[in-house]
Amino acid sequence: MPRLRATTIISVLLLMGAAACSAPGSNDDKATSGNGPIKIALVDAQSGQLSSLGAWELKGARLAVDEWNAAGGINGRQIQLDVFDDQGDPTTGTTLARKIDSENYLAMIGTAESAVTIAMAPILKQAEIPNITSGQSPGLVAVGSEFLFLNGPTSTTYDETLAKYVVDQQGLKTIAMITNNGSYGKGEHDAFLKSLKSRNITPVADQVVTTDQKDFSAVLTGIRQKNPQVIFVGAEEVESGLIVKQARDLGITVPFAGAAPQGTPVFLDTAGAKAAEKTIVSSPYLSNDVSDASKKFAAAYKAKYNEDAELHGAKAYDGTQIMLTALKSSNVGTGKALADAIRATKYQGLLGDFAFDQTGVGIFATSIGTIQNGKLVAVTG
Amino acid sequence: MQVFLQTIVGGVSLGAVYALVALGFSLVYRTMGLVNFAHGNVVTVGAYLASTFYLTSKLPFALAMIAAIAVTGMIGLVIERVLRPLENRDFDLMLIGTIGFGIVLDALVIAIWGATGRAVPSPVPAEPLDVFGLRIRTYDLVVLAIAAVATILLVLFLSRTKRGAAMQAVAMDHEAATAVGIHVGRSNAIAFMIGGGLAALAGGLVGPLLYVSPALGGALGIKGFAAAILGGFGSIPGAIVGGLAIGILDSFTAGHFQGYSELVTFIVFTVIIMVRPTGIFGERTVNRA
Repeated sequence: MPRLRATTIISVLLLMGAAACSAPGSNDDKATSGNGPIKIALVDAQSGQLSSLGAWELKGARLAVDEWNAAGGINGRQIQLDVFDDQGDPTTGTTLARKIDSENYLAMIGTAESAVTIAMAPILKQAEIPNITSGQSPGLVAVGSEFLFLNGPTSTTYDETLAKYVVDQQGLKTIAMITNNGSYGKGEHDAFLKSLKSRNITPVADQVVTTDQKDFSAVLTGIRQKNPQVIFVGAEEVESGLIVKQARDLGITVPFAGAAPQGTPVFLDTAGAKAAEKTIVSSPYLSNDVSDASKKFAAAYKAKYNEDAELHGAKAYDGTQIMLTALKSSNVGTGKALADAIRATKYQGLLGDFAFDQTGVGIFATSIGTIQNGKLVAVTG
Repeated sequence: MQVFLQTIVGGVSLGAVYALVALGFSLVYRTMGLVNFAHGNVVTVGAYLASTFYLTSKLPFALAMIAAIAVTGMIGLVIERVLRPLENRDFDLMLIGTIGFGIVLDALVIAIWGATGRAVPSPVPAEPLDVFGLRIRTYDLVVLAIAAVATILLVLFLSRTKRGAAMQAVAMDHEAATAVGIHVGRSNAIAFMIGGGLAALAGGLVGPLLYVSPALGGALGIKGFAAAILGGFGSIPGAIVGGLAIGILDSFTAGHFQGYSELVTFIVFTVIIMVRPTGIFGERTVNRA
């Protein structure tokens, strides 16, 4: 191998550092006073492996902000939504938390990643910047920050609903689990296992994969020999899709069950409609046509982005609506006043009726759907 | 026993793709003594191009692959052209140049195709073969066959053609090669072009196995790089053996060490490299730095 000089290594690090810096914010100190735009930061992965989540979240939040701006903003002031790229990386997230503090942002939307949000939480708490995250890890609640809010249910809610349906209603007791060791997968693993334990069920297999694993033959062949009636997956969209696709190729025919990622178009595309058939999904947003509100949202989303709306965009839309409503009701309050206004906001959203408790969680229910003929359909009863 | 064999079968097809990525790294290193850090990003570009030609332009899969290979070959030429003034002057800057190119390609991919990625349906949708309870996907066999053919063509090119022989000569002693009238710049350009084409081949083939997203090249790049080192950087047979070895190793650690599989894969890799620093087929003909 060619020798590497120290200068080379330093230059490379500098280069990476430069790439990590993102969207320059304007130095508008007037943001907190009575005129000028109201500055809100959106922090999400816009590059890297989790950028699809970040892209969806941005679309949902942008839609809400544009609606408010078109209607005249808040107290005659326009809302300025600035995007920061955390690359799905907690360290980058903490740097950004300090940045949005020093640049006087009133509030933050994001991130879609529990691990990044948890890393940012102490700094945002100290700076008294309220934020609404799309993360769902129970670890978010454990942080105990009065400035941290969730725009959806936690994994505990998702998986308890799922266990109730799979075990109590369907009577399926031989269950295998595959989860990944990322923050999302770990949360799902613990939450679903707890729901099973409370029903005196031990899974016949409890396999953990890594977040960037591509080949699941060893894990799946092991599970096939245990003959489960249903397989629980706790992994993000693409990985879940690959697991299901490879399972079908290996001759595993039983249905899969999981939370929100298993209801997304990305999961369906990756797995293939045939392989994904009968997947049981626990999600607060099953489809774009369950209510008038979701139909309206989906139409606006389609018109703006020429794409079908999905859960993550809807979550971010709800979260941003709540944030803007609270800004209005608190007369563009900041810090604790804004946090209290968010907590007091009752909002009928796409995901359900939000009513926040002291932990910052506003929704405590999900619905069950199954994939039939390549579409997610709500299960009635 | 069945789990054991199925694990090998699972690892081999991804291993073949790692081998193709490793070949791209090795070929450029062999002729120029340079590690092309943009290679993984060219794989991503190749995967996106192949999927776009296949799904959006509705070309047959084989034609889509060829078109993608042609475009990434051109990208390889551009990278070499930009780096050429630095050749034999500042090696470190060339290295950083390739990293910079990678970042530019990454940004371009997100700008052109967006961040969300796309699933590519298998071009060979037949049911998996069932061999004594082992399930073998038909598409895996296609991947293996194409990888084998590409390798044979590459070896023939290097050993049987004048141009290939010239490239070998440049690799051994570029000053002597220049003295006998071999155009070193052209030789390097061809290495980069073939390297780019191999990247598209790997990216295009892996699309239907995995999912085409901006992160694809990063994951394949690091495994391909490890495969090249394991086999012996610069060695053609080494890249093949290294790729398959990393693929199968990956598959086994995934079964036994679960959440820690990635860690174990690279610990095993490190131990092998400590015992045999030049890799399995270690040859050290190139060191221009």
